[in-house]
Amino acid sequence: MNPYVLAILIASLGMGTTITFASSHWLLAWMGLEINTLAIIPLMSKQHHPRAVEATTKYFLTQATAAAMILFASTTNAWVTGTWNIAQLSDPTAVALISIALALKMGLAPAHFWLPEVLQGLDLTTGLILSTWQKLAPFALIIQISPNMHPAILTALGLCSTLVGGWGGLNQTQLRKILAYSSIAHLGWMIIVLQFAPQLTLLTLATYIVMTSAAFLTLKASSSTKINTLATAWTKAPSLAALATLSLLSLGGLPPLTGFMPKWLILQELTKQSLPLTATIMALSALLSLYFYLRLCYAMALTIAPNVNNSSAPWQLLSTQSTLPLALTTVAALALLPATPAVLAMLT
Amino acid sequence: MALFRTVPVNAVKVCRQLPPLSSASSRPAVLSTRTIYERDYRRPGQEPDKRWPWQKIRFDFSKGVEGVRKHFGLLKDEFFQRWEGPEGRPLIEHMLEQTRVLWEFRGPESLGQWVISTDQEIGGRSEAYLKLGRNNTTCLLYGTLSSVPPRDGETRYSGYCTMRSKQPLGAFDRKKHHDWSSFNTLHLRVRGDGRPWMINIAAETYFSHQRDDIYSYFLYTRGGPYWQDVRIPFSKFFLSSRGRIQDDQHVLWLDKINTIGFTLGDKADGPFQLEIDFIGVCNNLAHTEEFAYEAYKRNPEV
Repeated sequence: MNPYVLAILIASLGMGTTITFASSHWLLAWMGLEINTLAIIPLMSKQHHPRAVEATTKYFLTQATAAAMILFASTTNAWVTGTWNIAQLSDPTAVALISIALALKMGLAPAHFWLPEVLQGLDLTTGLILSTWQKLAPFALIIQISPNMHPAILTALGLCSTLVGGWGGLNQTQLRKILAYSSIAHLGWMIIVLQFAPQLTLLTLATYIVMTSAAFLTLKASSSTKINTLATAWTKAPSLAALATLSLLSLGGLPPLTGFMPKWLILQELTKQSLPLTATIMALSALLSLYFYLRLCYAMALTIAPNVNNSSAPWQLLSTQSTLPLALTTVAALALLPATPAVLAMLT
Repeated sequence: MALFRTVPVNAVKVCRQLPPLSSASSRPAVLSTRTIYERDYRRPGQEPDKRWPWQKIRFDFSKGVEGVRKHFGLLKDEFFQRWEGPEGRPLIEHMLEQTRVLWEFRGPESLGQWVISTDQEIGGRSEAYLKLGRNNTTCLLYGTLSSVPPRDGETRYSGYCTMRSKQPLGAFDRKKHHDWSSFNTLHLRVRGDGRPWMINIAAETYFSHQRDDIYSYFLYTRGGPYWQDVRIPFSKFFLSSRGRIQDDQHVLWLDKINTIGFTLGDKADGPFQLEIDFIGVCNNLAHTEEFAYEAYKRNPEV
């Protein structure tokens, strides 16, 4: 892509999220969301393959619908209450509509159907941007309106997302779809605790971004988009195969890795709020997700085919892509659990 | 005042044949079904089928019961298959799989997975038939090609026949797709009569403009009594839409394949035969090409 165009698009992506973060008026927040959507569209359809264009179109339609619903809800609220302030969204209709709109924007079940297909049509870098950066702006809004949101909707969205994310990812062989369902499941965890402790939502979001970046960058380093290609990742970079196993287990929420931190704190918070059944269902659905992460670990590190199987075993060539982001995110995804007390002190 | 002539119900035949050419007088003139049925194929020179949807369905209790049993059975299978692994088989099988035989003609029910079509759809005179070959081990597509165009004032060229696989359907006739992403080569064992065939693979598309997008490649048959093993890498398939090769070429993505088909349209009138033993996919590790056609920029900046 022309470097000037690429620079403008990436700057617009940054600017859109920043505008949403910095805004207290709904219109400005909506503008930031739209700028984000429009800036990522050319990046998604860069390769011009019909499937990439299909993914771009589906993404644009869902995001535009969600943005229109946000605009409608905020206008309704302004009409009824007279204020455009984001934190003062109080009209029940507006709040319900915004919840659904933001669920559609992020890919929370039951508005998640676009996410696996869209991620499947993209290359890994754009998929990374979609899974991480594009979640920040909607979360900024959802955290600001969380005191007014209906608890039943939040609980339903959270439970539905974790169950759908776990169940849907079970038999996928395409890695991008697996990461899409993983994203849905993690969003469920973030949403369920929103009504009790929004700071835990922020923590889960931050750890999710770090772990997903580690996962996407690992897949990019081994150029794998299917489980079969992942099975020969050990020939390309054996140490990466070993560390990526741990990153995937971190995504699954196993101690002593970083991914355990948000899950532990969320389950603790749910228990404190006297919701043992919800906590149990969340923990059990985390097992479903863990199954497909373990399956990836099994394919990557615990099997060596009797012959060179479904991908040609490539030579261990020096990679031209920078490994610094991969190294940083992998270390962060594996080693941050001992920092829990500091994180808790910072958040409360 | 009657604004239009009403059609008596028993005068409408519920059948699958094309409506007769001259029945314009018995059609309601106010409301039109044209917008609903614009998408369906209209035989050139023929008026479009303007029956309402309820005039085309056959309501029958036993058909309903049979349908319920079949679809709920399929749904139950789909549900329990997830416990096994991807596509209902354990993951280790998916990882170790290097070849897969997709269509093998070993009994009459295997012919039901294929649809034959010729230019008789547009009024031409070619004929094609599909039957099981000797010993019920192969399928034989045979017939006569005739490139005489139909005399409907619209069509200029004619003379084709094609055999296409049916799209795999799940419970409640939901479209399922073939996932050939573990493979990179198509392997056929055929015995032809020396004619050049086209292999057409249709992948799943999204926009209605892409409805007729097909990835094609040639199958040159030898004729003669010896079988021919044909291995065509998927990277060689080129994109065409409604028969026209596209300037903007893309590689065939193998994770959502709908149908595969064979077409004969070589403008040589006369009988033809194609015998197919099996159609399979395999993974040729020596073939590392991703796409055979370089897509040049058509208007490069100077």
